[in-house]
Amino acid sequence: MKARQAIWLVAWRELDERLHSRAFLASTLLMLALVGASSVLSLALSPETTYKVAIVAPVPRGLDAALQRAAKPFEAKVEVRAVPSATVGREQVRAKKVDALLLLANDRLVFRSDVDAQAAAAADSAVRALRHHLPPAPELRAVTLQPPEQKPTDAESLAAYAGALLLLTTIAVYGQWVLTGVVEEKSNRVVELILSTVRPRHLMAGKVIGIGLLGFGQVALIGGLTAILFAAGLFDAPASIGANLALVIPWFALGFALYAVAYAAAGALASRQQDANSAGIAVTYTLLAAFFLGYVALASDMNGLLANLLTIFPVTAPLVLPARSILVGVPLWEHALAVLLVLATIYILVRLAGRIYAQGLLRSGPRVDLRTALRLARDG
Amino acid sequence: MLSIVDIGKRFGEVQALDGCSFTVERGVMLGFLGPNGAGKTTTMRMIFGIAEPDSGAVLWDGRPVQLEDRLRFGYMPEERGLYPRMPVAEQVAYFGRLHGMAADRASAAALEWLERLDVAGRATAKLEELSHGNQQRVQLAAALVHEPELLVLDEPFAGLDPIAVRTLAEVLRGEAERGAAVLFSSHQLDLVEDICEDVAIVDHGRVVATGKLDALRRRSRHRQIELRLEGAPPRWLPHVAGVELVARHDGSLRLAAGREVDPELVLAEAERTAQVVGFSYGPPSLTELFLELVER
Repeated sequence: MKARQAIWLVAWRELDERLHSRAFLASTLLMLALVGASSVLSLALSPETTYKVAIVAPVPRGLDAALQRAAKPFEAKVEVRAVPSATVGREQVRAKKVDALLLLANDRLVFRSDVDAQAAAAADSAVRALRHHLPPAPELRAVTLQPPEQKPTDAESLAAYAGALLLLTTIAVYGQWVLTGVVEEKSNRVVELILSTVRPRHLMAGKVIGIGLLGFGQVALIGGLTAILFAAGLFDAPASIGANLALVIPWFALGFALYAVAYAAAGALASRQQDANSAGIAVTYTLLAAFFLGYVALASDMNGLLANLLTIFPVTAPLVLPARSILVGVPLWEHALAVLLVLATIYILVRLAGRIYAQGLLRSGPRVDLRTALRLARDG
Repeated sequence: MLSIVDIGKRFGEVQALDGCSFTVERGVMLGFLGPNGAGKTTTMRMIFGIAEPDSGAVLWDGRPVQLEDRLRFGYMPEERGLYPRMPVAEQVAYFGRLHGMAADRASAAALEWLERLDVAGRATAKLEELSHGNQQRVQLAAALVHEPELLVLDEPFAGLDPIAVRTLAEVLRGEAERGAAVLFSSHQLDLVEDICEDVAIVDHGRVVATGKLDALRRRSRHRQIELRLEGAPPRWLPHVAGVELVARHDGSLRLAAGREVDPELVLAEAERTAQVVGFSYGPPSLTELFLELVER
């Protein structure tokens, strides 16, 4: 029998057994329901927008009414404020007292740092209506007083946090499944029968792949649905978040592969179910540390050295990279480097963990400490 | 043919195996005997690569055993274990597939074996829902489902009731008749004597006797004498040099004698004391032989 067949048989058994578990089905449905509900809530709770627009006095007759009409399709209102001069208007824009300054004299719409596309479109069509001009020539040029800020919106922060949290929980939960699965096989001794025909590393690979596929399916379903909802504008948030949020799907695969082999090795070193949790604790803490370190680094300076390092460091990349990509964007070369580094780490870890796994599986008695484990890995 | 060739294994301070050698031919059922800790389980694990010998080799048809060979071996480890939440028939078929069977053949063979072992009624139940005895049968089915060329069972009779013992003995005999080489360990020597023609006895990691059971018994330094007497004094014993009492029960005496002892002397002395209603003389039982060989 070829290695691939053996791995696939083991993987399929893992997948099949857990696919029938109620816990898995219930958690998937619950998470899908949560995503759907939050999309509905986000739309229902989004307040009607009111744009405050400063206009140098005197305000032409009919402009207010035209602005209201033009803003209506966007479900927004416009509050017109007359200002004595363009200079005063600019100051008010800078001080955030108004959203924009409309300078009819030189056909400009002035924003502070970011152009609001809806406000610009509304103002443009209002002015055109007032002047009885025909499309498509634009009436107004939208400009900003300052270069756009790099600060992410609330929606982006929320999506980044939720994405990282989804990765953290799914990697931890499915990693624990690998751990308990390994300990279970060991404690009920079926492993001896399996190992009479399957090589230990193939058993480990099958287990990780089977459980990983299940987790991947769940993450793809939930992450994919959320990304699509974002892209379709069903959240009150920029559609671009969707594409970045979809990154959690491939990064689950990479992150899971990395952590699951570590969980498998830890499981092989425990011999009783009671030891399973303490065996996996080092791996779980590493995962949590990666999450919080990433959180702190991104909260203090998203483009700082630490944030950049954590984006490509294999242990933290699976949790940090998708989040940072949503928040500030990550250049392509960093994506590529992070993927390469994590793949290299997985390769090394699989070889190391495979040996620990093989040596640990048939040991019984007290839990093996890490030093013994590494010695086993060297000798094995 | 399975050949265990001069294997040695050390666990820390303990020399578990020390030049252990024997062979099991196709069509032969060999009882693998020895006191606890003699190295039986370790030897069996080595056949499956679960333990590695420090020296020596395990050969199948003259070549070192490979993973491909093991696909045609069946194994029942000392510590039984299957997946508790997996349905019985599915589970047996899974082990068939791990031995390289196609899915449909594995399912059919699994059902056949469950039928033969009288657990087909529980085919769709989860293993953990079965009684201990039925779980044992499923374990046996998992070892047999792929028609192994070599069958290795570690203490298969331990904990079985007499009916299950008879069924298992029949199954093993059937496997040997089919042409499989069958190797099993046991402490139930009477049973081994009944069903095996071949044995290997191991002590302190070394094979102390192997071959046809009858030949081994005849080669023994001892002979067994059984006497049934009527009207003998309660504590009577024959005074013949080299004869020892093994057991006394009602009027029956079981005696062990050196091979050189003339049984006529014992019979003559018994006839002088009481009425002899039964007398037998022959090679020792397997139990006697075992105790002789592994005496500490």
